[in-house]
Amino acid sequence: MRRALQSMRDGIGFDTMLVILALSYLFVFAGLPLIYNVVISFQTVDVFSLGTLLHPSAGAENYENIFDDRQAGTVLWNTIIFTLGSVAIQFTLGFALALFFHQNFTGATWIRGLFLAAWVMPGLVVGVLWNWLLSGDFGVINHVLESLGIIDQPVFWRSNPDTSLYSVMIANIWYGTPFNMILLAVGLSAIPEDLYEAAELDGANAFQRFWTITLPMMRATIGAVLALGVIFTLQQFDLFAAITQGGPAGSSTVAQYWSWELSFREFDFGRGAVISVLMIVVVLFVSLFYVRSTKAETQL
Amino acid sequence: MKHPLSLSALAVVLGTGGALAQDVTLTLWTESATAPEGVFAQEFSEMDNGITIDVREIRFDDLVTDTLRAVATNTNPDLIAIDNPDHAAFASRGAFLDITDRVAASDVIDIEAVFPGPRASLTWDGQVYGIPRASNTIALYYNRDMFEAAGLDPDSPPTTWDELLDAARTLTDPDNDVYGIAFSARASEEGTFQFLPWAQMAGGGFENINADGVSDALALWKTFLDEGLASPDTLTRGQWDSTGTFNGGNAAMAISGPWELGRMATDANFNWGVTLLPVKEEGGPRASALGDFNIAVFANSENPDAAFQFLEYYWSQLDRVWPEFTRLPSVAGVELAPTGDDRIDAAAAVFTEQLGYAVNRGPHPDWPRISKEIQDAFQAVLTGQADAQEALDDAADGIDSIIN
Repeated sequence: MRRALQSMRDGIGFDTMLVILALSYLFVFAGLPLIYNVVISFQTVDVFSLGTLLHPSAGAENYENIFDDRQAGTVLWNTIIFTLGSVAIQFTLGFALALFFHQNFTGATWIRGLFLAAWVMPGLVVGVLWNWLLSGDFGVINHVLESLGIIDQPVFWRSNPDTSLYSVMIANIWYGTPFNMILLAVGLSAIPEDLYEAAELDGANAFQRFWTITLPMMRATIGAVLALGVIFTLQQFDLFAAITQGGPAGSSTVAQYWSWELSFREFDFGRGAVISVLMIVVVLFVSLFYVRSTKAETQL
Repeated sequence: MKHPLSLSALAVVLGTGGALAQDVTLTLWTESATAPEGVFAQEFSEMDNGITIDVREIRFDDLVTDTLRAVATNTNPDLIAIDNPDHAAFASRGAFLDITDRVAASDVIDIEAVFPGPRASLTWDGQVYGIPRASNTIALYYNRDMFEAAGLDPDSPPTTWDELLDAARTLTDPDNDVYGIAFSARASEEGTFQFLPWAQMAGGGFENINADGVSDALALWKTFLDEGLASPDTLTRGQWDSTGTFNGGNAAMAISGPWELGRMATDANFNWGVTLLPVKEEGGPRASALGDFNIAVFANSENPDAAFQFLEYYWSQLDRVWPEFTRLPSVAGVELAPTGDDRIDAAAAVFTEQLGYAVNRGPHPDWPRISKEIQDAFQAVLTGQADAQEALDDAADGIDSIIN
């Protein structure tokens, strides 16, 4: 008895208790909903049976419906383009900005801080702003492009099925770049300065220093930033709701928006859950990648 | 005695107040606290009847979603103002209180006097599940000054689709950023609301969306967009924003409802008028959309008597709905009092006549899914992704499988 108490106060018992606390929190607030989501994806659930725990089984019907849906191909393709495009450009811009502000000129930290203003804004506000900027007839972006002579006719970003997805992507890139920049800036400042000095003495030029020192030293950070970027981009919903509502004619619908539409516009929670399940599988792989990256980071 | 109807009815309402338990608090969800039900609820709370109503505003786009979630988790309010096509979903599943007997016993509410359209929207299976807040419909607003400048007669606005198309072509002036016409073909309930009247004028409807003439209606809309007579953003813009461009002088005509009148009277610095929606061919059938909300009590409300008392109060104030809110009463025999603005008073006659042709959306418990099929069809055609008849046939198949 005494030994048990002792262990509780200071020993393996205490550690176990902490772990159990954390795990049970995770299980209740993340694990259960996740499992429930998988269960629902095999059931017929409408809004009036949503409150009950048991629903009629639908077998694999929800999955078949989703894969047979005429929208499925477009949505899959849109999701891939939106995610890869957003992450690639956000990352490139974020990295470029991080390197730029790493030069430590006067006011660099201040300006870098200001960039974060974009990131702390609520998504819906950003969406409404970009909705105005991208407006076809009176949008600022068209006005600027026309004044510069780049286009002669206004581009109807939101309303043209060929550009609608990209209009949301532009907004999302603007929204996500500061986050990339900050994480990468942290990674940059962790690289010891003497490495660069030594390389410079050996006659390495700026480009060589970037390829042989910066990139390899940043590998863990880059992995983490890319993985988080993919996860955050797959979560992006507000911008779609505010700018295109997935339209016109479904041309800018991505998986997360489609899932919401099925669940909360058509009230078919079963099919909505199918898409979430498929997305969870993708996110699971990305998370594995993230965990591996951060593991490498802690080992450094 | 400005409101004889209100005062006598008020006496009835106050008279029954004493029988109720004291200090009851009700909750009301609405899209806007400045809409009639919000304002009347405030007045009702301030009266000495022991009942307080907490008004909570919920964005129009979230109203149904939030309410469904609340019903599923038993956290719904006592009262709600809800868009009429969404009413059946709740009534048919027993979420709303059946007030048939209460209405029959009421000295204030005369449900027989409600126009057939709104009445159908709040009735399910022969039982009454609410009262209409008001009704609205869409008609054609036009800029009289631009008509004159373009050599068109502002006193004889377009009456047929051909005339409308001609007028739009004449009025479109890209050099001055003026489109011929503004409307909304957005992929939302607003788009369905705007499209169905055209389908109905062409002999179709939501039950036969692929009827012969409906593709002509789509062709007309497509011509507006393809020839640049309407902004391409028509596809993603709601009615309020579209009509905003009319008020700003960037569109010569606009299709929208009476809710615009108040803003237009202050924002538009030109002469404007309202006329009936043009028909397909001269002498052809008229149609329009039936809009606006119903007010219902939830079946699980703990104070249904107090909630019903509010419905009676609302009814007693129906004659204020037009002059104060530019909404059309859904009840026969309520006069539209002059508002003091000649243009709004002239519009009152047009909207009242147009309302006579208004057709319900549904009622059907799965209306949102039916509406989605219609939106998919017109958006696919307008963006050039599908042929009109094919898209309409697809929609008809989809709607068939929902209805049957």
